[in-house]
Amino acid sequence: MINPPSRVIIKVSNITKIYQSGGISFKASRSLSLDINAGEFIMITGRNGSGKSTLMHQMALLDRPDKGEIYINDEPTAHLSEKHRMDFRLTKLGYIFQEYALIAELTALENVMLPAMMTGSNKEARKKALGLLEKIHLGHKYNRLPAQLSGGEQQKVAIARSLVNDPIIIFADEPTANLDTVASKEVLEIFKSLNQDEGITIVMVTHEPEELTYATRIVHLADGRIIK
Amino acid sequence: MKKIGLSFYLTWKYITRGRKWTLLLTIFLMTAAFINLVFIPALFNGIINGSNQQIVDTLTGDIYVTPPNGSDYINDVSQVTNKIKSINGIKDVSAAFSVPARIKYNNITGNWQIIAVNPDNHSNVFDVSKKMTSGSYLASNDLNQIIIGRQIAGGKDVEENALSLKTARTGNNISLNLDNGISRTLKVKGIFNTGFVQSDERAFITYNELTSIMPTLKNKATTINIKLVTGANEGQVIKNIIADKLNVNVYSWQDAAGIMKSVSSSFVSINVLLSATSVLIAAVTIIIIIYITVINKRKEIGILRVIGVKPYIIVLSYVILSAIYALIGITVGTLVFWFVLTPYFEAHPFVLPICNAVLDLSWSDFIIRAQAILIVSIFSGLVPTLVVAHTKMLDAILGK
Repeated sequence: MINPPSRVIIKVSNITKIYQSGGISFKASRSLSLDINAGEFIMITGRNGSGKSTLMHQMALLDRPDKGEIYINDEPTAHLSEKHRMDFRLTKLGYIFQEYALIAELTALENVMLPAMMTGSNKEARKKALGLLEKIHLGHKYNRLPAQLSGGEQQKVAIARSLVNDPIIIFADEPTANLDTVASKEVLEIFKSLNQDEGITIVMVTHEPEELTYATRIVHLADGRIIK
Repeated sequence: MKKIGLSFYLTWKYITRGRKWTLLLTIFLMTAAFINLVFIPALFNGIINGSNQQIVDTLTGDIYVTPPNGSDYINDVSQVTNKIKSINGIKDVSAAFSVPARIKYNNITGNWQIIAVNPDNHSNVFDVSKKMTSGSYLASNDLNQIIIGRQIAGGKDVEENALSLKTARTGNNISLNLDNGISRTLKVKGIFNTGFVQSDERAFITYNELTSIMPTLKNKATTINIKLVTGANEGQVIKNIIADKLNVNVYSWQDAAGIMKSVSSSFVSINVLLSATSVLIAAVTIIIIIYITVINKRKEIGILRVIGVKPYIIVLSYVILSAIYALIGITVGTLVFWFVLTPYFEAHPFVLPICNAVLDLSWSDFIIRAQAILIVSIFSGLVPTLVVAHTKMLDAILGK
């Protein structure tokens, strides 16, 4: 059952982001505003260069807007120090990359444990990471290195890693772009379950029209603006 | 700072789970950089110490006594040597009388120094008796016999063959002409090769032989050479000899080393320059190795930052990694240097006209160089990681 949208968990307020390249300015976000409610599964879509990833990076505190403000849980973040932003990312946000972004020298279990080792004991981190791997049906492959896992399995490990510190929001940047149809569906089902069963807010960037059916709301971007 | 253990955890995983060939190549390069840093100074030290030892063992002894100013001889040699021998720290004393002479063999003549010695004392102070390449060393009662250095005897591979007697060999008779017109025919009892050209262009006869030719030189000497017991304080012994007021001039072997002193001094300067260059080469090599390692991990460093790993933990993990690379390189380099290179060069020394050089590096010099490698490695790990850990996260992840 889909949780009804409630209070605003992310408020994007009139942000502008300008990139400079070779002396040419490029506005990736143009006075963009967006409210995301807690419990929503938002999909951001649009053509290449429309500003999807730029918006995602700013909401996930990986980058700062040049103008405007982003509130997460009512807390303004644009001018937070790097240390505070890092703490915020560690304890409140989860981030999933397109290319899995696992640490090659760590096993599936160790990759999932890593963020939890920053916040608690290694023993607790291990227990929690094992639980998450079991939940995504990878408990039996906990000791495998990323290179010994399929693309879909690696992305599932990345999802488990994003969950290990109990985030309130998960950001996923084209998480199925490198996966086959079956693996993509598995990943999307996990997101759906996390959203519906655990009430985690999910913000996902996608290019794939068929994936939009999983969203509770779709945001279309073009030229750094929301068009619908 | 309580999460520093995480840095060690990450480092351990990088080492144990990283690419084995990359690890081996890195260790090989670190080892090569370290060996480069110790080999050249060790070789130069070997040449410097080897040539200094040659001077002491074949030319001057540890201390060198000459006649008083204004006199050609040390008089009452037996009394002077007995007094010197009684001073603490002295192993033995050898008085010598050096005369210029013209030697002729097979219609070839040349001018060399002939040194009259007491063979027993001389062999206690010098190594010449152990360096005979043919025939045998002098005995105290030898008369009409001479031993000659390799540079006098001559031969195909002799450095100063052009100035030598070319083909003089043990058992040949040679003609000796002194400045005072006295001439003698002596039999070559043996030929010595100390490996030090300056020593090998001399010839020795017994003191008895000299006084049989020139009886007026009895109990006179032009030099007294002194060998110290191991660990004796050279400066203190010189002070004690001077304090005895023996009416002689006393010098350390360094003072008597002559041109070899400036040769050694030049080698010391070259050694300092080459050591500095070696440190620079090692530093650049290590910086490149670690920099490439860190740059290859740029994306991974970015990911660690995105998931919330603090920059100081990331930086520390690479600093520890660099230090471990350095420590492994130093350990392997140490084993190769002490157990492969040093024994090899002991068995096959560099043959030079001034000595047979082996590798010679003190432990303190060795440790200083190991510390230099370690410090350079830590610095090399620190700087690029600091840069990457503080660049924009997205740039690190996207490889911009």
